Amino acid sequence: MRINIYKILLAVTLGSTALSGCEKWDEHNTVNDASLKKDLMAQISADGSLSKFAELLTKSGYDKVLSSSRTFTVFAPTNDALASLDAAIVNDTAKLNRFIANHIAAQTFYTTSADTTLRIALLNGKYADLLDKKIENATITVADKQVKNGVLQVINQSMPVLSNAWETLETNAAIPAKQKAYMLSLFRNVFDATNAVKIGVDATTGLPIYQPGTDSVRTNIFWRNVYDLRNEQKKYSLFVLADGAWDAEIAKYKPYCNGSTADSTTLLTSWTVVKDLARDTVYRDAELPDTILSKFNVKVPVGKLNIVQTIKTSNGNIYVMSKADVKPSDKLKPYVIETENWRTMSAEKRGNMYIRDRVNTLTGKMFRDVLANGHGTALFNLGYRITDVYSTKYRAYWVAVNDVITNTFTQKVGIGEATATLLPYVNVAPNVYSEVYLGEFTLANYQSVLNIYLTAANSTSATANVLVCDYIRLEPVF
Amino acid sequence: MKKISIKIFLLAAAVSAGSVSCKKIFDVKPKTELDVSQMYRDVYDADAALIGLYGKFMLLSEQYIILNELRADMLEYTSNADENLRQISTHSATASNPYASPRPFYELIINCNDVLKNFDIMRKDNKLNETEYAHRYSDVGSLRSFLYLQLGIHFGEVPYVTSALETVDAIKDQKNFPRLSFDALLDTLIKFEEALPFKGEYPAGTNLNITVDGYPTAKWFINKRVLLGDLHLWKGNYNSAASWYREVMETGTTGTQNGSYYSMYKVGWDSNGDIDHYINYGRAGDASTLTLNSQWRFMFEQAMTTEGFRREWVWAIPFDNKFKPGNPFIKLFSPVGGQYLVKPSQDAIDRWNSEKQRPVTVAGTVSGLPYDARGQLTWREIGGQPVVMKYLYNYLNYLTNAPTNILQKDGKWFLFRQTHLHMRFAEAANRAGKHRLAWGFYNSGFAGAYPASGSNVTNFQNTLSEPYPFNFDGRNSGSTGVPYYRADWYRNIGIRARANLIDQAVPATDSLLNIESGLINETALENGFEGTRWPDLLRIALRRNDPAFLADKVYAKLQKDGVAEASAVRAKLMNKANWYLPFNF
Repeated sequence: MRINIYKILLAVTLGSTALSGCEKWDEHNTVNDASLKKDLMAQISADGSLSKFAELLTKSGYDKVLSSSRTFTVFAPTNDALASLDAAIVNDTAKLNRFIANHIAAQTFYTTSADTTLRIALLNGKYADLLDKKIENATITVADKQVKNGVLQVINQSMPVLSNAWETLETNAAIPAKQKAYMLSLFRNVFDATNAVKIGVDATTGLPIYQPGTDSVRTNIFWRNVYDLRNEQKKYSLFVLADGAWDAEIAKYKPYCNGSTADSTTLLTSWTVVKDLARDTVYRDAELPDTILSKFNVKVPVGKLNIVQTIKTSNGNIYVMSKADVKPSDKLKPYVIETENWRTMSAEKRGNMYIRDRVNTLTGKMFRDVLANGHGTALFNLGYRITDVYSTKYRAYWVAVNDVITNTFTQKVGIGEATATLLPYVNVAPNVYSEVYLGEFTLANYQSVLNIYLTAANSTSATANVLVCDYIRLEPVF
Repeated sequence: MKKISIKIFLLAAAVSAGSVSCKKIFDVKPKTELDVSQMYRDVYDADAALIGLYGKFMLLSEQYIILNELRADMLEYTSNADENLRQISTHSATASNPYASPRPFYELIINCNDVLKNFDIMRKDNKLNETEYAHRYSDVGSLRSFLYLQLGIHFGEVPYVTSALETVDAIKDQKNFPRLSFDALLDTLIKFEEALPFKGEYPAGTNLNITVDGYPTAKWFINKRVLLGDLHLWKGNYNSAASWYREVMETGTTGTQNGSYYSMYKVGWDSNGDIDHYINYGRAGDASTLTLNSQWRFMFEQAMTTEGFRREWVWAIPFDNKFKPGNPFIKLFSPVGGQYLVKPSQDAIDRWNSEKQRPVTVAGTVSGLPYDARGQLTWREIGGQPVVMKYLYNYLNYLTNAPTNILQKDGKWFLFRQTHLHMRFAEAANRAGKHRLAWGFYNSGFAGAYPASGSNVTNFQNTLSEPYPFNFDGRNSGSTGVPYYRADWYRNIGIRARANLIDQAVPATDSLLNIESGLINETALENGFEGTRWPDLLRIALRRNDPAFLADKVYAKLQKDGVAEASAVRAKLMNKANWYLPFNF
């Protein structure tokens, strides 16, 4: 019996220990920050220094949004910051809504996690950069105040709603006229079947027929081929030339863009100039390099002394330039044609062609070339295609290693046609690993597409009509 | 009344206590694991124990590859690798480095000892008959000897333990287990292995030679004759080594004279790309037509049930998502689905690129491609990074480099194949003075080494005047020869011929060392990353007593990969004592 009592005591002690342990734990987990019981709107209303912003929130109706159960980050300007707010914004509901929405993000963002720049989506579709205690140009004075439905950041300046780069280009009076006019002229109808209405099927090709007017969208060529400057998520630098500088660049590139008519020449030249005047990077004023590399790898000198004006947009900067003197030698690139990647054969002779790996004895590097041997076809040729070829003079070179036969044979590069005589037949002596000069030729007109051929001798003899080539290089002459 | 309520209270307390710790209270035998008393009752239990050992052996695969390759000159760590891998590569392993620990080896050795002890008891109790006992005892004993050989290679002096210890920590006590030098260890192992009652493979139709989950078990188990050949080769008994290798080379020489008879383990052709494993071009001379879906690359991907796999591989163990353990090689090698911890060294890449292929005659005087295409099939660039591919062909598609299923990490642990066999036979033959024979095996085979002048092959294409094991008959009368004649070795084509490489030229002045170095180079090209590089270098360095043979190669690797310690490592390896890892238990 005594033993039983001890056992009971033991059980009771153990049990009570387990129960009593829990109370401390509850205390530990208690929420005791009073502001966590308030929502954003209540928190803002309670803060006297934010009364103006609270007023605007109520006026715009965003007070209900900030009282909702969704999560937001609010960048609330102080009364001082809003003192000089334009009355036009306050009195225009649409403008006011956009202004208020420019201070609210639909997620929680903390300055503590912004040690690298965070690009934050705001409720009006714009984006703002948060880095440490800076949001765009404003400084966060009271940071990371956590409330029931989000985070409150108090800022010392309001954040104006900026136009994006494209809107700025269209509307800002400071943009020079000529480049602007050209860029705005680039709207085209482009095929897009997304919203097209299908009305039948072509009996011969089997392709769908769409109702006219539904199968295209109107878009700007610059958006499609260079950068879509309307994109708020990214940041761009756009360089707009003053009219004089624009004219100078056009005059410089006209000879290289010779089209069939004066109009087509102008259009080609304008495009050639404008395509390199943007970059999908934004530079801080101090960090703007004196030369940027365009999307097409062209060096564009953008020296600070030539910047007339910098216009800040919601997605980057527009620079008005008094000069951006792009050198033709930077814009016109040499063409290197790897001949083992042919598009066409003049006859089906794959069985006589070899893609070979070789070591160049001069450079010590491995290369891959093509050999056609014993094909028995006079004027056998391989076809290649290059695009956007400027009207100028070119010098042609190749590396063609004849380690195949012991005698010298000839082959040539055909420009436009396999048998074109712009370049002559050139000897291929045994075991020459260096680049060989083939001659020069002039293209009178700009070619959006130009066919190039590697053509064998006009002979059926296997010792005469060998084709062998590592690469062909066409170098513009300035 | 009072008494009852107390009892109820106690009962409740007991139930609540019991629900927490009933396992301690009641000694129930586990349902999913066997107790000692339930083990070793019949031959099936013995088989289960043996499979269990091999299952545990698979856990050593990662350490095996890291030790045997990363210490040598072909494998290098990547920027993803941790300190432990870097230490292995730079020969500076600390005591806490798990890759440099002999402990996992000894854990398995102790298990082997325990199983061997129980096999003895079973034989005494007649639970195993004489044949069953001999087969299984020899297998487990050989697996243990293989582990000891590995320990000797990497640690030099090691304790040789043959008793079943309860815990592996007992080995720490040097008084009970004195350490044997590598040389004495070899003597001990040779004595043990030679005395084993059975040296063949499990006969077809027996319990351990079946197909499980699509994998034939025959290739899982160690080849005892190969191990004997290796032990004798390390020891320098070249005739004995060659004899044991020769027995394995003749594995297929039985029964009907068919493709298997002429080509299994003989590096012989079969006019079938899945079996030949050539470096082959759809059109000779056209580099873009290198055969990928068959031939040489395919031996690493093909199913273990295929004839091509059976004739090529002597020892390989599968990793499959359907059973454990998991495949460690995806983690080591693959940048897709793995951690990409090791990569081919620049020195290894250069090694393949400094070879030359055979010239092509069909297109006039087209000279050969300037590399060994086995390099392109052994490693390739994925996302701009060099990746060892041999282990990944069952995981990544060879055309797209993308996994079929990123979670199904199938693969194989490659341990030994016929080219290892021929290379080591040739190494022994070369040292036994049979230079031409050795040269033939790794160049153009018999026909290349002992060519016939016409269709009368009576005194050509054979070495029948030599004593066993160097007496080969590779005679082939050709299609018009009279009499029509095909000897056992007529299909042997040689390893470099199979890889479409030109023969190695050997100066007459010093064929011994040139051929030996050529063999080691050829093993690197053919069997790179298959886990034998460090032992190959070590064996030659020991035999020649030439530390530079080893040190220069490791130096070249580290130096080309820009590792700052390269010179220090070379200096370290010039001292023989540093060839072995410290025995930190």
